[in-house]
Amino acid sequence: MSQSSTTPHPRLSRLAINEEGFVFDPQTGESFTINSSGSLIIKSLAQGRSDEQSVAAIVETYDIDPDDARRDVRDFIEQLRLYRLI
Amino acid sequence: MEPLYVGVTGINASDNPAPGTGVARSLKELQGLEIKTVGLAYDAMEPGIYMDWIIDRSYLIPYPKADHSAIMERLLYIKAQYGLDVVIPTLDSELPFYIKYRDELTQHGIATFLPTDAQYRLRSKEHLPDVAAQSGISAPKQATVSSYEELNKAIANIGLPLMIKGALYKAYYAHTQGEAMAYFGKIVAEWGYPVIAQAAVKGEEMNVIGVGDGHGNAPGLVAMKKMSITALGKVWTGVTVLHPELLAAARQFVAATKWQGAFEMECMVDGDDIYLIEINPRFPAWVYFATGVGVNLPQMLVQRALGQTPNTTSDYPAGKLFIRYTGEEICDLERFQNMVTLGESA
Repeated sequence: MSQSSTTPHPRLSRLAINEEGFVFDPQTGESFTINSSGSLIIKSLAQGRSDEQSVAAIVETYDIDPDDARRDVRDFIEQLRLYRLI
Repeated sequence: MEPLYVGVTGINASDNPAPGTGVARSLKELQGLEIKTVGLAYDAMEPGIYMDWIIDRSYLIPYPKADHSAIMERLLYIKAQYGLDVVIPTLDSELPFYIKYRDELTQHGIATFLPTDAQYRLRSKEHLPDVAAQSGISAPKQATVSSYEELNKAIANIGLPLMIKGALYKAYYAHTQGEAMAYFGKIVAEWGYPVIAQAAVKGEEMNVIGVGDGHGNAPGLVAMKKMSITALGKVWTGVTVLHPELLAAARQFVAATKWQGAFEMECMVDGDDIYLIEINPRFPAWVYFATGVGVNLPQMLVQRALGQTPNTTSDYPAGKLFIRYTGEEICDLERFQNMVTLGESA
């Protein structure tokens, strides 16, 4: 997993995310839903935090094993890549 | 204040909706100006005739292929009988008449705001690559074909799948050579030659609607992404988007061509790649969506037709939803009878 991502992702920054996890991309018109951990990861990456910092945020919020969190974050980032959001 | 009488064609609000009722609805929302909308219909069963909350009075008019004097006489009759200060044609097949005889219409006190003849020809599907280049975007590979032999050459050159399109109407997605040939025959039988064979490009369909002022400026633009379409390929649900490159391409198109009048730019957007699929030299059926999010393009067009400077705004929010629905209107048979026997609503 990349450790270096400290530049905010412009595509993630533009996403509108509501409290229920509904995500809307104002540029492409795409919309999808995510759970609270997905929302946390997107917000973290959008603020320019590294992947590892996002893992730390997940561990702290959900009190889970760091390796599990790392795997989940990595999978989620792959999904974001698939949707061309990063 | 005297009302302004605005004629609108294409009031056939059916499963293949024409733009007229959306234009009329937009005009009815104008503030500070009383608009009387005049529905110009080709058939007594066009639903707009019976939508009297947006269309004040309707008349049957001759088909666009009729002799020009027959159409002109009818429009002048309507002007004398009820009133007709501005006319907004919304169907592709009508535009050649209104463009050709715009000066004669003006002399009779009927204003229009339409593309020039050169602009109208420029936007034809054969010239799509040139228009795309002028707009700073791409165009799918395409060929204009008028025989099966030319079609087969085009398929060999472009590859499959591809779109088979009529010069004005209809588009079919062909997966195989056999399908392409069948669709070619179908379009020729219905609409004649030529036919366009166009590479099918991937991506999301996004369209921009606007008005060009004839001097290179676009007083209003709205972009939307199609979310769902009908079996006929007509948008049923859409969402507004703020796609900077797409809107910039629309502005560049208007600036480069000094476009005059309404237009719709149909594009496929695949990541950072934008492909121009079609330019429609008129409002599309979803025109009211723009009005609903605060950009009243028919108002701008009417203002330009009257020689006024339109209110300029392209300020709309992304994420507004447009949902079309079906409805039923109940009325007396007399209204239908009047259209059939008198050619006008009483």
